[in-house]
Order: sequence, then structure tokens, then C-alpha cells
Amino acid sequence: MKIYPYKRLNRPVALRVTSVSLKLPDGSWDKLETTAYSTQQQTVALGVAGHSDWVSARIGLSVTLPPGANAPDAAWSDLRVLAVLTDGETNLRTSSDLTRDTDDGHDWSGSVDVHRDDHLGRVSLAAYAVGTVDEVPGRSVAETDRSWIVDTVSDDPVQELRLEVRRASFRNSAREWLRSYADAPWIVDVSARVPTVFVNTDVEGIAGLLDCEGSGVDSKVRDLLVAQMSTDAWTAVFQGAIGDLEVEPGTGPVFPTDWRGEVLREMLPDIVPGVHVEEALRQVHRRRTGDSGWVELQTRVHYAAVRRADATKALVHVVRGLEQMNRESET
Amino acid sequence: MIDKPSHVPEYLALLAASDADQFLTEGLLKGEEVHAGIDLAKVVESFPTREARRSAEPIRSLVEDAMYAFAEDRPKADAWLAPRLHATLRLTRREAAEKRLWNHLALAVAPDYVVWRHLGKERVSAERFRGAADRQCFSRLWWAAELFRNGSDYEPVEAACGSQDLIHNTLRLDLIDHRPTAQALVRLLRSGLGGREVNALWTAINTAGATLIHDALAPDEPRDPTPLRNWIAAAESAPPVDRYNLPEGPDEEPVPEDSVEALVKHFTELFETAPVRGRKTEE
Repeated sequence: MKIYPYKRLNRPVALRVTSVSLKLPDGSWDKLETTAYSTQQQTVALGVAGHSDWVSARIGLSVTLPPGANAPDAAWSDLRVLAVLTDGETNLRTSSDLTRDTDDGHDWSGSVDVHRDDHLGRVSLAAYAVGTVDEVPGRSVAETDRSWIVDTVSDDPVQELRLEVRRASFRNSAREWLRSYADAPWIVDVSARVPTVFVNTDVEGIAGLLDCEGSGVDSKVRDLLVAQMSTDAWTAVFQGAIGDLEVEPGTGPVFPTDWRGEVLREMLPDIVPGVHVEEALRQVHRRRTGDSGWVELQTRVHYAAVRRADATKALVHVVRGLEQMNRESET
Repeated sequence: MIDKPSHVPEYLALLAASDADQFLTEGLLKGEEVHAGIDLAKVVESFPTREARRSAEPIRSLVEDAMYAFAEDRPKADAWLAPRLHATLRLTRREAAEKRLWNHLALAVAPDYVVWRHLGKERVSAERFRGAADRQCFSRLWWAAELFRNGSDYEPVEAACGSQDLIHNTLRLDLIDHRPTAQALVRLLRSGLGGREVNALWTAINTAGATLIHDALAPDEPRDPTPLRNWIAAAESAPPVDRYNLPEGPDEEPVPEDSVEALVKHFTELFETAPVRGRKTEE
């Protein structure tokens, strides 16, 4: 918990996306369907319309402040609401002022522009209520508790980080380093921009199995295989992310700004439960760089990976499928 | 110290970190032996079009001039090279966030420069070839130029890169992404604050920044993608960057002067009361 040396609102700001339009190179605008954003996932997917050459996106926003924001005896004055876009990969930060919908209401609205040249992947969008407190201007009195993600590439608005899956013949790949893994069915590469699972097409039948559709046992085996791959991937990305943390003198390890940060924020609550993620990061970093405790932590890392990969669900489905098959062959 | 590889590519390309690893040999990191370049050329991914701004020769020429001019004081090369590298490459941030580009630049085009600039007592850290954006030899300079330039004016970049403390410690922190904050910091540096003082101030700003929204204190101009796009398109016919005078960056709106002044005033006050405020807002 962060401690603030002044009075604040004790509930978060609610932020909703109300519209998304893409500006195209010829200056025209394409208003996207509501499927481009998900209020539940708090995600916008700008790839949904299939334009690869859009110039910028205008995202319409509506914000509701928590009760008390406009109270006559509030500790702040000059209340403003800002929408702030940040992107750790491109060091971008832009903000835009929202306007109050009615004089006495808690509702504010406006828009932010996302320029395609400024981003490679995912952008965070948050809202802040800012005021003058104790004669200090620019203090945040409330903010969103979870940022929206604006994905500039994806065509599906989901919050989770997607791993990239690529297929290659390891034996004949132009990527020379893959050749030394010719006898492995898949390999996880966490040094790429987004973590990538390379699937070895030299393993007979693996491509067919991954492509199979329908509800038969083979599709359940496929799910099991995918769960196994994602368990490996999640374990690898966690180790990769925790492996080169920047450490700020005095304050300890810092969350990385790319997918590594997202991975850590997502997995740490399962690895060190019951504490704030910042504290969890400090604890894990201490165990990794200190004398003891790193080995013991591996079970928790594995558990966090298994949960994310839905391994149990996949396994239960295969077992059910096999039981049914056996029953049918008996009768 | 090593020389350039016998085969330097004609154009910049993309080199994945996992492909780069095999060329980061002990010999290279110790500055004793460089790869020939031929094998490296096999694993790179070329850009689909041949643009003038992807040409490797202007970069080679820049690093060779830097090595000649700053042989006596290598860290000084940063302030000279950062704006010139930025104005030669002409990248969008989207393109600059692609780490494979920087891997290729460091490993295929100018490994001798990386070794020259960053060789410590025994070896160069591998992160100078393929590391985080604020550590990699060339991307740190590009990002410093991008974050500290004031519209088309690269002068603040020279000042910022002249302080190793500043670019070493600030580039990775989110606060610097706010243009008026970056300009205010350079202004304070110019007014005579030393490296250590800037560090102390930066810590104070960062701590206070946890509760202050700089965008509200010091608003910036809205971003407009057009000037940058025009500047990139003009790369096809642009002459090589001047060695003695600073180049001109994209014709973007400078940071509003009022905002810089407001932050300079705010930071100065913060600096005077830094230790007290620091403690008050600790987690």
C-alpha cells in the first residue's frame, strides 16, 4: 500500500471506453464495431478492423468519479480528470483532459488519440482525478485501479498476454540455433520481443494434431499438448522475467516495462500469495539473489504456470474422453 | 582492440537475440577477436524495401569519426553521436522499439565501436550488444535523443548526454517520458547542478512523482504524427549529417515554455526540501 501525505478518495475512478475510430491514410475515419473493445476485459483491440495502415485511433472515454469527489467540504479544489496513455516499450506518455458532463455530476468524458507510429504492441490507459491539495497543485486524489490495455495489433480484446506460436523444421531451420534442439518437440524462446513457442514440425504428426478440430479424443489430446506447452512457456517466461531485473538502489527491484512486467504481475500473486505484488517481487528477488529459498520457490513457480495453462482442465477432459471410449468399446 | 568485421552489410536488418548469442563470443566481449560477418549475414531478416535511412554506410562513417575525435575521452562521444545517430536513422518509436534492429546495428555494423566505447577492465558487457533499451550501446543514445530533444532542437540532447549519471539513471524511468519533465531536468543541469546533485534531485522527483501528476502541473502539446512522417520521408534526399553543427530533428512543436518553467520552479523547491519529502512519501 502506498501512503499519501494528504487526503484522497478511497475508491477508484471508473473508466469505460465508449467508442473507437481509426483514422486511415486518406484522412477518412472508420468507426469500429463494439466488438473492438471489451468492458469486462478492459481491453481495446485495434487490429479488429483489419486495417494495417491506420494512422491513429481515437478512443472515446467516459469516467465516473467515486462518491465524495464533488463534496463541498472536499480537501481538494480545481478538480480535473486526465486520461493518460503510457507505453513502456516506446517510452510514450500522453495525456488528455476530460470535460465534466454536468456541473454537479460525477461523470466526465472525452477522448484520447493513439498514434500507430508510437507503439509496437500494448498501451496502458488510465484515468486520474487531480486537484490542488494543501496548496499543492497536480495531486492525484483518485485513479483507476486497473488500467485498460489498448492492443495496437490484436484483433481480439483480451487482457492476458498472448504467447506467439511458430512452427519450424528444427533440423532445416534458417534459425541456426534451433538445429541443436532437433530432438525436442518444442522450445520456448523468451529472448524475443514477445515470448515465442517454436513447435518442431520434424516430429511426425505434431502439426496435424495441433490443427485437428472437432470434439473427438484427438482434440482433447491436442488441448493437453497445448496445456503442456503453455506450462513450459509460463515457467520459462517467469524465469526469464525475474532473471534480469533492474534494481533501483534504495527501493529494490523494478517491474520491467514490457511483457516481462505483465508476466510478473500476473504470476506473483500465485507465487507469493497474500502480499502486494511489489512486496512479492522484492521477496522473490531476495530469494533468487540471496543465499537460500530459490530452490523451494520452484514448486510455487510451477504451480503458477500450471494454473495459467489450464492444465488440470485439459487433463480431466482427456481422462473423461478415454473413459467414454473404453465404455463404448466394451459394449 | 578489434577492427570492423571484414564483411559489413550494406543495409541495416533485423537480428533476433537468440541468433545473436552465438556471435557474442568471449573473444568479442574481451575485444580480441571479431566475427567475419559472413555467417551473421545468413541469420538476419532483411527489410522488404531498400530505403536510404537503412543504409549502413552513414552509420559506419559516424562511428569512425567518433572513434577518431574522442579517442582521449570515450564517454564524451555519447553527446556527439546521440543527435547525429537519431537524425541519420530517422525512426518512429514503433520502429525503435524493435530490439532486433539494435542487435544488428551493434553486432553486424559496428561491433568495433561497441567495444571501443564500452570495454571495461577486461571485457564489454553483453548488454551493450543486445540488452535493455537504456543499456544497449546504440539504442540508449537513440532514446536519449528522442526523449531529450525539444521538437527539432537537439541541443538539450547534447546537454543530457554530457552527464553520464543523467542518461544512465533516468532513461528507464517512466517520468522522463513526459516531455516537459525531461526539458526541465536539462534546464537544471545547465544551470550548474552536478551529476550527483542531479541524481539526488531525480530520486526526489521520482518519489514525489508518485503522488503528483506532472501532466496536470505542466501540460504538453498534443502529439501530431505528420511532421515525423515528413521528416522520415525526406531521408531519401537528405545529405549526411553535419559533423560540426547539430542536425535538425523532425519539425514537431517544442515543449510549451510555461510548462518547462513551472516544472523548473517546482523541482527547485523540491530539491531544497528533498530529504523531508522523500521520507514522507515512502511506501
